[in-house]
Parts: sequence; structure tokens; C-alpha cells
Amino acid sequence: MATYDSLFSTLGLKDWCSEGKSDGPMSMADLLAKTKGKDTEPESLWDLPFPSMDTLNESCAAFPQSRELTKGLEQGFLAIKDNMSLVLDPITQPLSWFLDGALYGMLNTPWWIVIPIMLAVVFLVTKSWKLVLLVASSICLLAFIDYYEYAMQTLAIIFVCAFLCVLLGVPIGIAMSRSNTIQRMTIPVLDMLQTLPPFVYLIPLIFLFSVTESKLYGIAIILYAIVPVVRLTNLGIRLVDKDVIEAADAFGMTPRQKLFKVQIPLALPNIMAGVNQTIMMSLAMVVIASLVSAPGLGVLVLRGIRNLELGVGLVAGLGIVILAVILDRVTKASLARINATHKH
Amino acid sequence: MANDIKISIKHLYKIFGPTPDVALEYVKRGMNKADLLDQQNHVLGLRDINVDIRDGEITVIMGLSGSGKSTLIRHLNRLIEPTAGEIRLDDTDVLSLNEEQLRQLRREQMSMVFQKFALLPHKTVLENAGMALNIRGYTVADFESEAVKWLARVGLEGNENQYPHQLSGGMQQRVGIARALVSNSPIMLMDEAFSALDPLIRSDMQDLLLELQAELKKTIVFITHDLDEALKLSDHLVILKDGEVIQQGDPQEILLNPNDPYIIDFISDINRARVIRVRSIMEKHVDNDADYDGDISEKDNLEAVLSRSGGDTDMVFRVVRNGEMVGSLSMKNLTRALVPTDVSTAENNLTG
Repeated sequence: MATYDSLFSTLGLKDWCSEGKSDGPMSMADLLAKTKGKDTEPESLWDLPFPSMDTLNESCAAFPQSRELTKGLEQGFLAIKDNMSLVLDPITQPLSWFLDGALYGMLNTPWWIVIPIMLAVVFLVTKSWKLVLLVASSICLLAFIDYYEYAMQTLAIIFVCAFLCVLLGVPIGIAMSRSNTIQRMTIPVLDMLQTLPPFVYLIPLIFLFSVTESKLYGIAIILYAIVPVVRLTNLGIRLVDKDVIEAADAFGMTPRQKLFKVQIPLALPNIMAGVNQTIMMSLAMVVIASLVSAPGLGVLVLRGIRNLELGVGLVAGLGIVILAVILDRVTKASLARINATHKH
Repeated sequence: MANDIKISIKHLYKIFGPTPDVALEYVKRGMNKADLLDQQNHVLGLRDINVDIRDGEITVIMGLSGSGKSTLIRHLNRLIEPTAGEIRLDDTDVLSLNEEQLRQLRREQMSMVFQKFALLPHKTVLENAGMALNIRGYTVADFESEAVKWLARVGLEGNENQYPHQLSGGMQQRVGIARALVSNSPIMLMDEAFSALDPLIRSDMQDLLLELQAELKKTIVFITHDLDEALKLSDHLVILKDGEVIQQGDPQEILLNPNDPYIIDFISDINRARVIRVRSIMEKHVDNDADYDGDISEKDNLEAVLSRSGGDTDMVFRVVRNGEMVGSLSMKNLTRALVPTDVSTAENNLTG
């Protein structure tokens, strides 16, 4: 006798229950209870179990167990998976090309070309010799301990993914800023992307794409890292001084002129703050994505965990910290340079 | 100066709220602002505004905050759409313009100067000044000479390559004025343009505006909450209260014959000697034979005449315009004009 037997009998569902009676697989708990020969019925109100799916199933065999829910979800996903990948595969194919191309380019160009180019870019966006020195010494340190290749792989993936995040995220943010409806529809999606644990991104992607393809981790990184640039583009444009917008209208700007001559330039500090966040989040995700074959420093961290190679794990972790510091400093310095020209 | 009417506003209403058309009926039946807010949950912005703005004059619209003056000026270039009424610019019905025509009107007919300057912070002073031309598709090279010329005219020579945040408030507003002048539009809308500036700079800017106006003869609509500023600048003064015009006309006339306690309140604090001019209180005649103590211009204010007389109340001055006599002013009349209008005399004016 189970706890909720009386519930089903008062509802007159006894017949329906026994109809569905079958010798389905037992849950582990059932099995244990059975072997111990213990009566599961509670003695007092104190022990009353919550009427969950599994508890109700004990009283009425026709009632589904909770594992059928997860199973149904899985089967549903598997059923539409083939059609989904039929559509998604070609759309996302360029991502694989970009990632593979960037990885190939970074690794097959000699270090004495790659490092100066990077330093030149750093100088161009920050105009600060101090930062150039910081970046140079950081990369040389990583190269000296033979982590150059891993670090470059990580950087290549971040560059591609962050670039695509900006390319997709800024227009989405602009669309959100122009229409409250779009904003209302997009914000829950962004909230979900931001709160979903990073590992969870990987699960459906593994089913959809082959693990050997680089777009698998590319998509995971982009989904995770696109949120701040979208949010801050939207916010930045909405925060543009109303008086300046009014002046733009009063002098007869078209909506297009207003966007490119006023709204985007004035929102640039916020957009760049979003880009900084996006880059940092790409770095966080690229480490986790090593679980699904993303190359780079994350692989070494994973090796450290899996094989208990403490030294490898720690040094790789330190390498990630160094990359994080230089990426953050460089983007923040270029942000500060933009801010300087935007004072009111 | 009976110039042509440039902009004509007729029976203009503006009601803010979800269903302004319904609320409009109540307003037309005479519901007041407070009741409209209480019972209909609509805000009365403007009620039955009729103003003619003449070509080449400075029309000042004055009122306290919340009186609807900023709302009114934004109707002229339709930054705010009216609930009902008519606005005509020359022969065009401004309200019937489509989006493209309206944009043309804003680009070519009207320029605007803002209280908070509203300059583009990421552009140089030169680029800001040329903004109107840039919008029309001209490059910096095209508008540079024009922008430099007007920047120099408003006193910003050599600041062309600075950014707005490097300039003081007064200088930023000079850029704002230069921006309006470079657009070469016949109408300038100035929304509390000098209100954010400190008093000395404000006075400088007023002088600058009058100087420019004497030369350019633009049609200027100027919004202010400052009566001294209004009296100094205006050819035609419109006083707004709670969204309604309570008196409009020659500012001197309003000063001497206020028709509303609200205006009397307003003018009770001002220095009458400084704002009343000889032409408003002189006796008009051309008796050249009498013995006069000296010549004064009809444009002089009473303060100038007072200091000229040295306090002698027996003097009589000859008033001249361009060297010709147009009337006379005795110090007795002058003193009478300085007596502040109090509520009782105002009521006499109203009833009489």
C-alpha cells in the first residue's frame, strides 16, 4: 500500500491506474526497498511524502515517473536533432572555417612575425608603451616556458569569437534600443544565456554537431559571451543624451544619420565596455570548452585535472590569468582613450 | 515696424495623455488644467494659442517652468505634434508636411539653439558648427570657411579644433549659436538659450544676439523665464501661464499696462528705470519753440535720463529720433512712470 492510494480511489481512477499496470523497469530506490522487504508506507503525518511523480506512481502505476519526463525530453530532442542540424550545419559552417583559419594562421606564422604584429596592434589601440611592454613580457614568458602554442590557440579562438560576438551583438543591441517590443523579447533570452551554467551549453551542442568540428565550441563561446555586448549596446544607445538627440532631430537628421553620427558614437564608451566584458567571458568559456575539444590552455588545465598533473594544471591556469590580464588591460586602455574624447 | 507675418499659430492645443482627442473636448468646453489632470488624467500642455511671429523680429515667449513655453517652441518645427490647431510658415501648412518635407523644413528653414547646448561631444567645435551643413551632405572641406567665419563672428576664433568639453558653458553656447547661424536658416528657435549661463556671461550673450540680429534680421523665437532678458531682447513679447497666452504685444506696453495679476507679480521686482524707454512715456508733439534742457534719444532708458538730469525734477527734455524731434519728456512724467504698478492700479486698468 502506498500513501496516495486513497486519493486515486476517491477520484474514481482505480481502473485507469490498474489498466496502466505493467512491469516497467523499477527505480533503484524501489529495488532497494524491495530487497530489504521494508514497508514504505509512512506511519504518521510527519513522514508524509510530497505528492511527486514518483510517489504518485507508487499508488497508481499508470501515472508517469519523473524519469519519463527527462527521457521524453531527450527523445524529443533526438527526434528533431537531424532536421535541426540540417539547417544549422550550413549556417554555422563559416564559423568552423574562421576558427580553423585563425588557428592555422596563428600557429603557422613564425613567432617573430606574430608577436610584433600583436604588439603593433596593442600600441595602435592604446598608444601606451607601458602596455606594449607588459604584453611583450607576458607573451615572451609564456613562450619561454613552451606554452606559446597553447596560448596562441586560446588567443586565436578568443579573437574570432569576440569579433563575431561584436559583429552580431551590436546590431542586435541597436535593434533592441529602437523597439521596446524587441527589447522585451530579447531580455529573457539574454537572461537565460547569462544564467545557464556554462557546461549546459555544451550538452545540446554535442548532440547537434560533431565533436571534431571547431564550430561546436565556437557556438558555445559565442552564446555565452555575446550577452554583455548586446546589453551594453542597447543600454548605451538608450542612454544617449536626449538633448543631443533632440538637436539631431531639430537639424533634420534622418534616422540613419542619427544612428551613425550621434547614437553609435555617443554610445561607444558603453559598447566598448561591453566588448571588454565579451572578451573576458570568451576567455572563461574557451577554458571550459576544452571539454569539447577546444584547443589551447584549457586542454592543459583539463589534463591537470584528469591526470592529477598538478604542475601542468597550475602553470596553464597561470597562463590563462596572464592572458586575462593583458586582454583586460588592453581593452580597458582603449576604452579609456575613447572616454577621453566623450567628456561632456 | 509692421513686418510680414512669418509664422502664424492659430488655435493651437496640446494635451498629453493616452486619449488627447477625448480630453480636447473637455478642454474646449472650458475645463481647467487641474481638473483635467484630476478627472481625465491628461496634462494640458497648451490651450488655444494664437501668436503671429513677424519676419525679422525677436519674439520672446516668457513664462515660468511648466507654463508650456518649451512645448510651444517645439511645435514650430514639430518636435512635438499638436493635438489641434494650425501652424503656418509663410504659405506652408507645417502640420500637413510629410516626413521628408518636414526634414527639409528643419534643415533649411529653422535652426535651433538649446538650453543645454546639445553639442556633439565627439566632434570638434568646427564640426559642430558645420553640423547643419554636414547633415545636408557637405564635407568638412565644403563648410570649413563658412563655419570658421561664423565661429569668429561669435568670438570663437582659434577654438575650431577643440572639443566642446574643453570650452566653458558660455563658449559652448557660442558654438550652439554659430551652429544655428551656419545653417543659414531664416528662423532661429532659441529654447532658454542663455538660462544655463551665469549672469555676466548671459548679459554678454544677449548683447551678442542683439548685435547679430541688427545685422542679420533673422526671425527669432526666444524662450525664457527671465523677465529682464525678455524685456531686453523682445520686439514682441508673449506671456504664457499654465499653457495659455495671458498677454502679448509690445513689451513696453505690457510693462506699463499689465492686464493680469500674474504679470504684475512678474514685473514688480524689475528695475523699471532700466527697462522702460523714453518712447513709451514721452508726449508726442513737435513744439520745437519751448525751452528744453537737452536732447535725449527715444531709445534711451529712463535710467540714462535720470542720471542726465542729476535728480532735478523740473527739467524737460526734447526727444529726438535720427536727429528729428518727435516729442518731449518732463522729469515729472518720468517719475510717475517709475511708480510701480500695484494690484489696485492694475485693477483700475482691468476694469477701465
